[in-house]
Amino acid sequence: MRALEKGAKCLVADPRRIYFADKANLYLPLRPGSNVPLLNGMAYVIIKEEFYDKEFVERYVENFDSYRHYILSEWDLAKASRYTGLKPFLIEQAAYLYAQAKSALILWGLGVSEHRAGSYTAMAAANLATLCGFWGKPGCGAMPLRGQNNVQGACDMGGLPYVLPGYQSYLDPTVKLRFQEVWGEPIPDREGKTLPALLREALSGKVKALYAMGYDVAMSHGDIGSVWKALSNLEFFVVQDIFMPLSGKYAHAILPAACFFEKCGTFTNGERRVQLFEKAVSPPGEALPDWLILTKLSQKLGYNWNYQSPAEIAEEIGKVWPAWKGIIHSRLKEKGIQWPAPEPDHPGTSILFTSGFPKGKIHLAIAKHIPPFEEPSSQYPFILVTIRRLNHYNIGSMSRRSPSLNKLYPEPVIDMNPEDAKELGIYEGARVRVFNERGEVIFRVHLEERVPRGQLYADFHFENALTNLLVSPGLDDLMETPEYKVSVVAISLFR
Amino acid sequence: MSIRIKINQKEIQAEKGELLVEVARKEGFYIPTLCYLKGKGYPENPCGICVVEVRGEGIVRSCNYVIEKEIEVETETPQIKEIRRKILENLVANHYGDCKAPCHTPCPGGLNIQGYIGFIAKGDFRASHALIKERLPIPAVVGRVCPRFCEPVCRRALVDQPVAINNLKRFVADYCLEHGELPIELPPLKDKKVAVIGAGPAGISCAYFLRLKGYRVTIFDKEDEPGGLLRYGIPSFKLPREVLRKELESIFRMNIEFQGGKAWGRDFTLKELFEKGYEAIFIAIGARKERFFGFQGEEFAESGFEFLYNFNKGQLSLKKYEGKRVAILGCSYTAIELSRVLRRLGCSVTIYYPRSRMEVPVPQREVGYAEKEGVKFVYVTAPWILERLDSKYKLILVRTSLTEKKEIKPLPETAFEEEFDFVFKAWGEAPSDEFKTFGELEAKLETNAEGIIKVNPQTLETSLKGVFAGGDFAHGAKTVIQAVASGRKAAQAIAAYLEGEPIKRAPITVKYDFSRGKRAEEFDSNFLDLFVPEERAQLKEREPEKRIQDFEEVLIGLTEEEAIKEANRCLRCGCLGIHKCEFRELLIKEDVPVSRARKKIKYAIQKAHPLIEVDSNKCIACERCVRTCPYEAIFFRVVNKGKPTEYITFRFTERCVNCGACVDACPTGALTKNNLLVPYSRKEAKPVKSVCGYCGVGCNLTVWVKNATILEVTGRDLPPNYGYTCVKGRFGFEFYKSSERLTYPMIRTDRLKKFERVSWDTALEFVAENLLKIKEKYGPDSLGFLCSARCSNEENYLMQKIARGIFKTNNVDNPARV
Ligand code: SF4
Ligand code: SF4
Ligand code: SF4
Ligand code: FES
Repeated sequence: MRALEKGAKCLVADPRRIYFADKANLYLPLRPGSNVPLLNGMAYVIIKEEFYDKEFVERYVENFDSYRHYILSEWDLAKASRYTGLKPFLIEQAAYLYAQAKSALILWGLGVSEHRAGSYTAMAAANLATLCGFWGKPGCGAMPLRGQNNVQGACDMGGLPYVLPGYQSYLDPTVKLRFQEVWGEPIPDREGKTLPALLREALSGKVKALYAMGYDVAMSHGDIGSVWKALSNLEFFVVQDIFMPLSGKYAHAILPAACFFEKCGTFTNGERRVQLFEKAVSPPGEALPDWLILTKLSQKLGYNWNYQSPAEIAEEIGKVWPAWKGIIHSRLKEKGIQWPAPEPDHPGTSILFTSGFPKGKIHLAIAKHIPPFEEPSSQYPFILVTIRRLNHYNIGSMSRRSPSLNKLYPEPVIDMNPEDAKELGIYEGARVRVFNERGEVIFRVHLEERVPRGQLYADFHFENALTNLLVSPGLDDLMETPEYKVSVVAISLFR
Repeated sequence: MSIRIKINQKEIQAEKGELLVEVARKEGFYIPTLCYLKGKGYPENPCGICVVEVRGEGIVRSCNYVIEKEIEVETETPQIKEIRRKILENLVANHYGDCKAPCHTPCPGGLNIQGYIGFIAKGDFRASHALIKERLPIPAVVGRVCPRFCEPVCRRALVDQPVAINNLKRFVADYCLEHGELPIELPPLKDKKVAVIGAGPAGISCAYFLRLKGYRVTIFDKEDEPGGLLRYGIPSFKLPREVLRKELESIFRMNIEFQGGKAWGRDFTLKELFEKGYEAIFIAIGARKERFFGFQGEEFAESGFEFLYNFNKGQLSLKKYEGKRVAILGCSYTAIELSRVLRRLGCSVTIYYPRSRMEVPVPQREVGYAEKEGVKFVYVTAPWILERLDSKYKLILVRTSLTEKKEIKPLPETAFEEEFDFVFKAWGEAPSDEFKTFGELEAKLETNAEGIIKVNPQTLETSLKGVFAGGDFAHGAKTVIQAVASGRKAAQAIAAYLEGEPIKRAPITVKYDFSRGKRAEEFDSNFLDLFVPEERAQLKEREPEKRIQDFEEVLIGLTEEEAIKEANRCLRCGCLGIHKCEFRELLIKEDVPVSRARKKIKYAIQKAHPLIEVDSNKCIACERCVRTCPYEAIFFRVVNKGKPTEYITFRFTERCVNCGACVDACPTGALTKNNLLVPYSRKEAKPVKSVCGYCGVGCNLTVWVKNATILEVTGRDLPPNYGYTCVKGRFGFEFYKSSERLTYPMIRTDRLKKFERVSWDTALEFVAENLLKIKEKYGPDSLGFLCSARCSNEENYLMQKIARGIFKTNNVDNPARV
């Protein structure tokens, strides 16, 4: 917003005419699930018209020729236009606008990642930035806007099956040694499983126990019908949370946790900025901060962890991950520090890659387009897209329980194009049944010009409307993110 | 480029292009501003308060004066001050509001009444209780016995009836006795010791506030149990013993020592206390000397006060009162309590009072309760002669009239005779001066003509250094809340004395307090028309015939629903923007009183926005809201600004996304948050640095905490959000108080069973055991661990460390895919 005031140009691509679109210089109402065709189409224009940053490409890109060949042969404007439903000149304009800027930033939210081609989309976006040399300068790059507040931190801290904290590999002998030294324990080197894999194996009986901290698996995962089955198949399931989550139904132990007003610690935002939050009030009843629960648990497991404060834990993180050496709580009192901060007094790094790239050269990935798993049919003629309402957050366990927010938006609503509604005899405020073979959900309907025809937008903040029941079983090809954004459904008036 | 400029003769370095106001402030010069918002442009009609004089250029606005060359600036000339004063006076003339609620003023305890009612309206009873306990340690007691200084001035009375303020207090106090109160943070104990003599309301209050400041306190009392008058003077049907016991327990639990059965003068002297290392002494032994009326045979009447004490101690044989005829002389609190006790013992009771019903020294309400229980009242009648017969009394009474000086004049010609089994006198009590004989220090304590101990009214210090006195002992028989207030005042003075510091007293700012009107006749009825009449909550009273059969409590407290409903009757008079009101601060600083303020409402209060209330009667048309809003969502127009005909139009447009930035920018109470119902000052709240827990932008927030409760959240001017937040940042914090929070660990061995509440130890052992068992049986990779996007880095790190370090599996994931 500040940037717009200062005269920056803005380009918005979203099937819905979101409010931000009104402020944009160019608005691209593309079809759901056609992000890769749009970005590749733009790349086509940029390469064809030679708008790219030749010097940068020469110096840093290792496979430009093969990439160029792929784009020019596969992604002519007509094809891009066909997939996206956008007029070719719009794609052209977008390419001009982007490539001719002095600097440009690509931001995306879950509209990008929650598709089968989610990771490819991220790559395609990164490719565009690379083509135009928009890296390592202020106001440049490609950046996901994370849905939840500390997704970045959870990943940074090694909350991933394939990497250790700091994205370090457990196959790297020096790394292994370092962990072993600090932890006094050897670390495993068998590959771990992602959550979807864990759930699959829970269904098949290979995985026996899950421990979920602050994560309502039963509510937030796509195609939840089979998730529930998987959870009921577990021999032991621990749930640690601030509210009783839906998963609690399947749990054997419920551990009450403090919320972020009731403890101190750090969160890392999408810009890698590690920020300190302090304790404002005490937790209710016997609830404890998660770090303390885990510390106490370790003692019951026969390990003598003895952390007295999150500050001590942060210090240890700096020992196993050098880029965090400078993340010391006492330094974060005033403002956050962006990692890498490899020395105790390092000011942090606001822009990555200012002096070359980690691997030396950038590889332009071949970003393939994978059409959504499901196509609308005569039986299920609508595409259902899940969204977040500004007033709520994710599954809404916090926002629904904040009376002020709940007042703004008290019940689950589905947005629909007025023309579509008219044809089906649906009127503003009516209750509707939205269904496919996976299940059905009741919503209140809101007619909204901004919604294109043939599409429906619904949130998933409420327990009584489990939108995720309807979500497609499609998973992102590389990362297995459920395809929240495209599922086919039918809709009818509920009587 | 650097330029040398002079401000008030002082040489200063400035950069070319800098704003004069910024440079001056950086150097510590005072320049007031109202409409100025750094980097956000200027309103169409700037406020002009920031004027300074630049030599050769005259009076200029410093907030848009760009430094280009060497200049000489004056900031405090008489002309400048005069301009400021004029501007402020014009703003005052257009201002209509109440800085503070009218009920706040008469409360001797100085309670934040509107605030605790506000918490109740939100359903946050514990926070309400904590707010009360800031100034009143015994709300369950006072909520039952207070004569209610506040309710007569409650503005709601102009709409229908006053808010049931005291009953609301009783409600939260009872709620917390039953459900537990919010923990208070106690400072560690210091070495300094203080002795308190007397465990009545004043002594307990003094001890409580001293303990809050970290002093070691011992209370001595001649009775075995603490409470003084509360325990021995007030009967249980008014103040149940259980309530008193629990409430006092919560205070003694704070590490305040009680030594019962220790009488001053008999078991110890002041000198001995000093010798034992107590560095200050507070005396609050109450007023126990009975007053007398002065009539023939008065010495034959029994003491009502003594009877009550002995009765409450359980030292009387009650049989002998059954079915007896009793007269009580006088209508003090003692008389009323006594009459009601005697009714319960089966007596027929008559109270004789020499004046009229309107003149009784107790609330009319109290007379009413006694009447309902069958106590007879005979007014304008005084005792004349009392004679003792064998087992009876002969009482001769006369009617009275008043002299010119309003003194009682008996009329002997009206004399009539009654016979009674018992005659009690209960004219009220006064402090005694028998302490003078207790010891050598005691003899030095000065008293006034009436024999009451002399104290400095500001500090409550006696003529002896380090000895303080308060409560009824120093002020004569008054109410419980006054005793509590006196104890608090003494605690402040004692702390100052012990630290050798002057007493900090809040400056008196009444003359800068706007008021919509003090008297009913001057009040603008158009304002009152904004409120719909709504019946006042009443306590249920047990049937008189039933209640005189026992000593159980007569009045039944409000239910939760009734309390919330009653709390919502509060008109919320006091300004809910006072904590951010720069305008008022400026009036105080520039000494501009507000007596000329408008007395009529001009704009209806807008309640249409779901989260923000707009009261343009308090708007100073600075347009900070308009310039702050990132969404251009405010339509604002002002015509004839600063004139009596000024007219402001304020409207939210449909672009508003409810972020609340405009409220935080508004320097008055014109814009306020609907979910902040507690007037407070930023000085008494703790600003806590936080980061929003909702989305990945990671907005920096300031969380304002008071009474172990989050009052509001504001944006912090730091990257990445620079003070802005979305609606969730400012308004989405309330979930932490939800009653649905998990508050204890639970386990079960089987999904078909119900969860069982267990201790942390048991729960963690259960978890550890099962996880280890599964690892043993199926290998490490049969376990999975899920990190959280809502937990901190440190916590996620520990989670994966448990997986990798303890269970030796890489099966760790997080909801990044959600
Ligand atoms: S806006 Fe300021 S001056 Fe006006 S009533 Fe509120 S606190 Fe008082
Ligand atoms: S709440 Fe936010 S969007 Fe609405 S008017 Fe105020 S600043 Fe603007
Ligand atoms: S509402 Fe507040 S910020 Fe807006 S013009 Fe009035 S006083 Fe200024
Ligand atoms: S004109 Fe300068 S502060 Fe208002």
